[in-house]
This record gives sequence, C-alpha cells and structure tokens, in this order.
Amino acid sequence: MRYTTSVTKGLTSSKAEEVLERDGPNELLPPKGTPEYVKFARQLAGGLQCLMWVAAVICFIAFGIEFSRGTLGCFDDLYLAITLITVVVVTGCFGYYQEFKSTNIIASFKNLVPQQALVIRDGQKNQINAMDLVVGDLVEIKGGDRVPADIRIIFAQGCKVDNSSLTGESEPQSKTPECTHENPLETKNIAFFSTTCLEGVATGTVINTGDRTIIGRIASLASGVGNEKTPIAIEIEHFVDIIAGLAIFFGFTFFVVAMFIGYAFLEAMIFFMAIVVAYVPEGLLATVTVCLSLTAKRLARKNCVVKNLEAVETLGSTSVICSDKTGTLTQNRMTVAHLWFDNVIHAADTTEDQSGQSFDQSSETWRSLARVAGLCNRAIFKPNQESLIVVGDASETALLKFTELAIGNMMEYRERFKKVVEVPFNSTNKFQLSVHELEDPMDLRYLLVMKGAPERILERCSTILIKGQEMPLDEQWRESFQTAYMDLGSLGERVLGFCHIYLNENEFPRGYKFDSDEMNFTTSGLCFAGLISMIDPPRATVPDAVMKCRTAGIRVVMVTGDHPITARAIAANVGIITEGSETVEDIATRKRIPVEQVNRRDARACVISGGQLKDMSSEELDEALRSHPEMVFARTSPQQKLIIVESCQRLGSIVAVTGDGVNDSPALKKADIGIAMGIAGSDAAKNAADMILLDDNFASIVTGVEQGRLIFDNLKKSIAYTLTKNIPELTPYLIYITVSVPLPLGCITILMIELATDIFPSVSLAYEKAESDIMHLKPRNPRKDRLVNESLAAYSYFQIGAIQSFAGFTDYFTAMAQEGWYPLLCVGLRSHWEDVHLQDLQDSYGQEWWVSVIEICQIADVLIRKTRRLSIFQQGFFRSVDVDSMEQMSLTPYIQSYTPCYVSFMKGWGQWWFVPIPYGILIFVYDEIRKLGVRRHPGSWWDQELYY
Amino acid sequence: MFCLTMYVMLQTLDDHKPTWQDRLGTPGMMIRPRGDTMEINTHNTESWDMYTKTLDNFLSPYNNSLQAEKNDECTPDQYFIQGDIGDVKNNLKRSCQFNRSLLQECSGLDDHTYGYQTGKPCIIIKLNRVIGMLPGKDGQAPFVTCGAKKEDSDKIGEVAYYPENGTFNLMYYPYYGKKAQVNYSQPLVAIKFLNITLNEDINIECRIISNNIPSGSERDKFAGKVSFKLRINTKH
Repeated sequence: MRYTTSVTKGLTSSKAEEVLERDGPNELLPPKGTPEYVKFARQLAGGLQCLMWVAAVICFIAFGIEFSRGTLGCFDDLYLAITLITVVVVTGCFGYYQEFKSTNIIASFKNLVPQQALVIRDGQKNQINAMDLVVGDLVEIKGGDRVPADIRIIFAQGCKVDNSSLTGESEPQSKTPECTHENPLETKNIAFFSTTCLEGVATGTVINTGDRTIIGRIASLASGVGNEKTPIAIEIEHFVDIIAGLAIFFGFTFFVVAMFIGYAFLEAMIFFMAIVVAYVPEGLLATVTVCLSLTAKRLARKNCVVKNLEAVETLGSTSVICSDKTGTLTQNRMTVAHLWFDNVIHAADTTEDQSGQSFDQSSETWRSLARVAGLCNRAIFKPNQESLIVVGDASETALLKFTELAIGNMMEYRERFKKVVEVPFNSTNKFQLSVHELEDPMDLRYLLVMKGAPERILERCSTILIKGQEMPLDEQWRESFQTAYMDLGSLGERVLGFCHIYLNENEFPRGYKFDSDEMNFTTSGLCFAGLISMIDPPRATVPDAVMKCRTAGIRVVMVTGDHPITARAIAANVGIITEGSETVEDIATRKRIPVEQVNRRDARACVISGGQLKDMSSEELDEALRSHPEMVFARTSPQQKLIIVESCQRLGSIVAVTGDGVNDSPALKKADIGIAMGIAGSDAAKNAADMILLDDNFASIVTGVEQGRLIFDNLKKSIAYTLTKNIPELTPYLIYITVSVPLPLGCITILMIELATDIFPSVSLAYEKAESDIMHLKPRNPRKDRLVNESLAAYSYFQIGAIQSFAGFTDYFTAMAQEGWYPLLCVGLRSHWEDVHLQDLQDSYGQEWWVSVIEICQIADVLIRKTRRLSIFQQGFFRSVDVDSMEQMSLTPYIQSYTPCYVSFMKGWGQWWFVPIPYGILIFVYDEIRKLGVRRHPGSWWDQELYY
Repeated sequence: MFCLTMYVMLQTLDDHKPTWQDRLGTPGMMIRPRGDTMEINTHNTESWDMYTKTLDNFLSPYNNSLQAEKNDECTPDQYFIQGDIGDVKNNLKRSCQFNRSLLQECSGLDDHTYGYQTGKPCIIIKLNRVIGMLPGKDGQAPFVTCGAKKEDSDKIGEVAYYPENGTFNLMYYPYYGKKAQVNYSQPLVAIKFLNITLNEDINIECRIISNNIPSGSERDKFAGKVSFKLRINTKH
C-alpha cells in the first residue's frame, strides 16, 4: 500500500490531517501575480519613457547649472523637466489603468464556488471541501462532478470523463481500472484534476494534489515561460535608438560649432543639452498610448479584450497563427454530420444555429434509422429546461439533438415506445441495445433496437433496409457498407451503426421476462438500418476567416491534442489544408510508391503527430515548417505546443497562438500574442493570454489583424508627422546659436506645440481609415519593415522637414520685419536682444523696444497630413461629414499651428497664419508627386527611396 | 523658394512705417546713465566719473548750437504734424529743437559733475521712440513722475524735475522714423535728487503719466516705467 490507505475504508482522519499538513491544501496556487507597483513601474520604463526620463534629468542638470551661475532669467528648464515627467507619469497611469481594467474582466470569470468532494475516510462517506483532499484519500465521483484531484481509478462503472481542456480531445474518454499505457495522459486508469466526469461512477485513490497534479504542472510550465517582447516595443526601442543617436550627433556637432564660434564651455554645454532635449518628441509617447488605447477600445467593441496595449499592434504583424482545434476552430460539441442509408451518404446540417440545408427525409429507411437512433439512446433532456440542457454522453447527446430536430419531441416519442429492457454500452461487446413495446397497442410485437461499432453491428445483421424494404445482406451490400464506413472514417468522424428487429410475437409474448445480463433474446440476424457519423464541426465563421488570413499572408497552423485523422479532416474542412493539397502519404498512395520515395517538397500539406514530433530534432521541425506551407500537428502535448511555437519564432515569424484549454497555456504565454477564448477558455489560458475573444469567434482575430495593421500604418504616419515637426522645431535653435538671431522658438513654446496643439492631429491620424489594400499585403517582415526606417527619417527630416523649416523662417522673418526688424538686423542681434539692461533697443525704423515686448518669438508650424501610398485624392479629400471632429481637424489639409510665446498674445495675431501657405502648397504637391511615383513605379529606385 | 518668398515679403514692407505696431502700445522708458544699480561715492571721483562722461556724450547732440543749426523752433504744446502733400510723400521731415539748456541744473553746462560730487545726482529719462505715437490728448503733455518703492518712500527726499513738471512737450511728437526724420531730437526729462538719504540703498521707480498711454500691467517690469537702485556713499 503505497499511500497507506485502504481500498474500502480510505485514510484515517488523523493520517489525512497529517498528510494535509505535509502537502498543503489541494488547490492550484494562483500564478505569482506581479505586484501592482511593479506593473506600474513597468509602465514607466518603456523605451520612449526612458528617453523622456533622460531628457528630464538633462533639464534638471541644465537648470542646476544656470541656478548655480545665478543667471536665473527663466525657469524654462525646470518647467520642461516637470512637464516631461508629468507626461511620462500620466501616460503610465493610462496604460496601467487599461491593464487593470482588462485584468478585472478576467477576474470576473473566476468561479468562486468552493468545490465539494465525496471522500471515504475511516470507512465513512463524507462530503468535504475539495481543498482538504490529500494523497491517498479514497474519493467517489459520479456523472456531472468535476474530478477533485488526480485519481487512480480502482473501480469504475461506465465512467467517462471530458479531457478536452487538458488534452484537447473532444471525445469523452472512458476510464477503467486497467493500466493501459505507460504515459499517464494516455492510460485509462487515471482521471485528472479539473476534468469533468460526464457519466458513470468511479472510485479511486488520490495520487496527486494541488500543484503536483498534471494540470498544476502545466500551469507552472506556463508561468515558467518568459514573455516575449512585443514587436511594437522592439520597434519603439529601435526608434529611440535612432532618435538618441541623431540627437547626440546633432548636439555634439553644434557643441563643437558653438565652441568654435567662441561661446564659453558652459554655454556650449547648455546648448548641447537643449538640442538633445529639443530632439525628444515629447508628444509621441502620448500619441502612441492614445492610438493604442483607441484601437483597444475599438476591438473591445468587437469582443476582443486586450490585456496589454502593445498586443494590439502585435496581431497586425502576425505571420503565423497556431490555432488549437477544439473549441477554437470547432464548436466543441459532437454533432451528427453524415448519415448512410439507402446506399447513399447524406450530409446533415452542422451549423451552430441549424440554418443549413437538410437532406431528403422521405425515405422509409430514414424513419427506421431515426427511430433506432432515438430509442436506443440514454441521453435525456433535463426536465423543465425545455430542450436546452442534455444529460448524457457526447455522441448520444448529438443523436438526441439530431432526432429531436428531425422527428420532434423525443421525450414524448420515447413514452410511446415503452422501454422494456436495456443493455448499456460496454467495451467488450461494443454495442448498446434496448427492447421497446410498439406504438400501436394492437401490435404486440417487441422492437429490438441496437447501435454500436459498425463492424460489430454488421456481424449481427442478415438483412439490410433499402428504401424501406428488407433485402438480404449479400456481399455487394457488405462492400458498399465498407466503402461508406471508410469514407466517413476518413472524414475524421466517429461512425455508429444502427439496426433493429421486430421480435417474433410467439416466441416473445407480452410479459416475457427479458434479462439484460443473460440476454435471453435474439441478438443476431437483425436488420441493418444505416450508419450515422458524428464530428465536432467547425464554427461557421472559421473557413472564411482562415481564407482571409491566407489572403493577408498569414499562415494558419493547427496544433491540437486530438487524433491526426480528425485533425486533418477539420483542417481540410476549414481550409487550413486547401483543396488539392496532398500530404506525403497521399502522394504515396496516389503514385503507389513507398512513403520514403516521395519527394517531401512536393507535398504542400503535412500532418505530424505528437509521437513523430517527439523523435524530430528542432532542425527537422524547422525544415518541416519551412517546406510545408500547410501544417497540422496532432496529438501534441503542452510541451510540444511550446516547441512548435518556438520553432516558428526561430524562423522569424511573429506567432499568434489561439487556445482555450489548460494545455494551451504555456504556448499562449510563449507566443508573441496569445489569444484565449472567453467563453470556453479556462482560467489558465486566459491568464496566459494577451488578448481574449469574448465571443470565442475565430473571425474576430481577422478583425484584430486588420486593426493591428492599421495601427501600425497609422503610427507610422504619426511618427512621420512627429519627426517632420522635429526639424522645424530644432532649426530655430541651431540658427539661434550659429547666426545669433533672436530665439524664434522657446522651449516652452515647443512644449505647447508638442503637447497642446499637435497631439490632436497626431491622434487624429489614428482614426485614419485603412488604405484599401491593407488586408491583401503580406504581414510586415519584422527585420525589414521597421516602424521607422531610413527613408522615412530622411524624407521627413531632410525633405518635408526642411521645407517646413523654411516656411517657419519665412514666417519668422516676416513677422519680425513687419514689426520693424529687418532680417539683416536680426543676424547677430541675440546678445542685445537678451540684455535685460537694454530697454531701448533700436529697430530698423529707429523705434525703441523694451525687452519682454520684443520676445515676439513665434514661428508658424506648417503641418501636413499624409497617407503613405494612396493620394489624398484617392482617400477622398472631403470624406463624409459623419467622421468625428478629430478627423475634420486632420482634414484641414495644412494646419498652421501658430503659437506665440505667451498665450495671452494670441489675439489678433492671425495675420501671419497665411504667410506659409505657399509652402503648404509646395509640400502638398511634393508629397503627391512622391506618392504618384511610388504608385507608378513600384520597386524602382524611387519606390525604395521614398516609400516608407 | 525661400529667397523668393523673402523677397516678396520684403517688397511689401513700407520704408517708413512698420506694418504692425501692436507690441508697442505702452512704450518703454530708459534712464541715462544706463543700469539698474548705481552706487557712487562722493569722495571717490572714479566711482562717478564714467557716469558724467556718459551723460556728456549723451547730451552733446543736444548742445544749443547744434540744435539751432539742424532743427527748427516749433510752437510748443501742440503736435508737430507734417503730412504728405497730396501724393508726394513728404519724406524729409523736420525736427524740433530740444536744447540742452532746458535741463537746467542737469544740463551739465554749469555743473560738469551733474551733482554727483555733491551727492545730488542727476538722472536723465527718455521715453522710447515709437513711430507715429501721439502721447497725451487734449493738449495735456505726458510727464514723468518718480518715487521710491514703499519702504524707501521717506528716504528719497525732494526730487527736482527739468523741464518743469517733468513733461515731454507735445511738439516733439509724432516721430516719423529714422529715415524720414534724420535729426530727430528725442525729448528728455532730467531728475535731480536734492536731499536723498545717504549711505543706503534706495529703490526708485519712474513712470510716464499720460491720459492716452495705458499703464503697463504690474507683471511687465518695463512697460511705461523704469526702475533702478541708487546708493550714495559719503564715507571713505
């Protein structure tokens, strides 16, 4: 006795307490939650955030230097630092709130009802909390219970469990005391924690509790898997690298220039820092956060809840989706798919809402078949619940629902055929039969109905029903039966045979004592009625969604715990394996050559089972993934799912994993984006995922992909916009240092432009509609298609940015000249301009000025909205009025944001808004020419240099 | 493109009057000698020598002889308006005489030390030039008034203004710009501290009072006023 327990009396209470003390309660430790402050801190430590922190520190240093020198003319540096920190903290709060909110959605799914278990201790049956179970406890389970721990069965009667959340098998597994396999997941005598017992009863000893159970181990495997960096985080880091590099380059260049011109070292140092800070796009962080949140909100409306904001974009760059089968691609309920009678295979309606076409039901044989299916069936509708909830085994449930739809009220129907005796299904005879009285009270014959494994049923039959006529079952019929059976089997469907016989009235008169154990009645020479096959059918929306993924260049790989044949059938059904694609085995059969001789590259499709996978090295797996575009992995363990995901990632793909079961959770975590099912999904899966589909609809993923791509494109536009703006913001400073004109653009003004006026156009770019071809393009290559690449930087900096700078300076000089300061006078004016003691500075007209008034430091910022490829005209210049006001703002093609130093001077300063208009037109024309070139000559030099 | 727009822009400018003057509603004021702190020692010639030199320099164009040679004698107490004659722009405007002698005690003609040696220093105040400005309506000329900041109010002592009452006579306005009015003599007001408390820092603020110049807001340190710190030491 390994567990010092008794098979009849169980543990003693004292022993149980002792073990409980040793092992701890029988519950899964929740995955170690990250403490809230760490989560918050993480929001403050992204790439952009770090850049802002550095900038803020630099500002403090600059402020410190000025402070110590006593030249505390302005507090600009201090304000700037404070604003930078505020921006980081506020956006951090925003991101944190988003994460917090979605965590709450998940938490609400948790089932808080404590589970009960029936345990035998000291020879007494007790109902105790499942938490208090210990190893060695003797527990009883019955249909409908959740298995309270890992249990080795020592007694079972018709016990079946649903392992789908653990292994992905949609069929119920029967459990018996025999040990049939070395692998605990395969053997029949172990029932697992958290699976559900569907029917029958069983008694067993607890062999593992809490985190040591199989499910606990999977859960800890999931928490052991590190989270991958999201692609957008990588992109933003890349962007920050570029920005930081350029900032330091520019800063250093001008530091040297300033030293050369003859500024003091400290002054040059302050210039250096100011340039670095001016380079930081303050508004970008807010823009990115707002863009992502907006998309997350939009997705939430379409039933996708995003846990991590950055995951929104990840979906867009996804190039491989590894999808679980059960519950994700399929409905996770057995449904009658095909029937074979009258020597024809009929297809049944498998849609969720029974909206499909039905077959011809006029045949007499059909009525007999339906009668057998309806009567030889132990599943019942739960009373008082209408026809909603069915109690019984999955295939019987399927048959019951099917006949209910075909014939009508089954409960009443069964009343009419009173059941006399019943022999339930068992694994030795592999059939189930029942004997019924007939509906017609005058007819005193008994009707025997039988169903079971088709070959066993056929053995017992001597006739076959064809068009209502009994025909002798000759070789020809047997052959057609075999063909039909094979056909249905190859569709991955579970096939059952049905037969019946009217018992001889004289031999079995009314009141005859039928004995279910002895079987004292005819069980051979029956009349074969037909075959019914069942499958867990794909969801209606899935084939279309898979198709869309394919056009979008995304590969869909099925990874399931189910059997290869079923997996393959479903894969073919939903289009993961397309029509005409063959596996190596198919080619071998077609060409009648051994499998080894087939050129592996000829096969588009490939089905690999867990067993084969175990023997493959990671290189072989990579090779298989590379050479076969259509892949199905069957019979995989959670560990293997992880290996598959890693292999895809090694090949440079961005991998999305969808799944619902506990067995999927490690892969969900490992994937670049894990997508869990909201309704069918287990808590473990939801915890590991980045995104949750509330309606379990695979098609929502396609929406997600579209939104993700859109946000990437739009972010690109936003960044192009921000970068463009950076140059006209920086040049005034450079000119200020080198030519000594009065400072045209103060840093507070820059902040105002960045955070107040420019946020709106930037964010409005997030509302931009998709350019029409977005879902027909290949997913971006994470190594090549960067968020910010050279051509984007070059185009926005040195082309548009330069034009804008000129526009800005034209405006600056115009304003200055019209106020009385001729351009030539401005040059070299800086030191007088900033001299506080000089209150009668002469302008070009001989007027005298005092200091604060002459700080007319303004510059017009000419802004342009752009689409990457389609011209504004193609996008519809005056797009419908129904778009938000935000959109309207961005539609005003050139927003001239004009911000004087102090807001109070705003009034009446509109006259200079119009000065840069020629430049606006120039930029517009320039950009349109660029786009025209890109469209006309794809792939040319022009395209490569100017398309970003 | 840049050159083109700049050129076009420059073409639109008027040579004599800037397009916009909205920044100059309240003109600034400035003192001579310049600076916001003046510390002099009556016994130490070097401490005020440079001030007197500055004033000498500053006032030399106002010498009566020079003024008489270049500028006209105008009718006092009314604007000296020189309109254009029809379409012909009257581009050379004449200016009114402002004789150095008007500053009397502070003209430096009699007392070459401008009172610095005796501890009764002169400060000269001017109002910033603004083209076309007509300060003071209804014939009431703008004038300067000086006072000490609160805590120093009893230490400032008596202040004398030259010309009388510290007025800027209306005949010096309007100003037509340096191109048209080459010899413009900006009117001045001199103040002399007659018995200021010695050996102490005294904060003084002078402002322009006029019935059509808005007094600058408190925030703007320089709108229509000028302030400085004065300390006269008598000890060695």
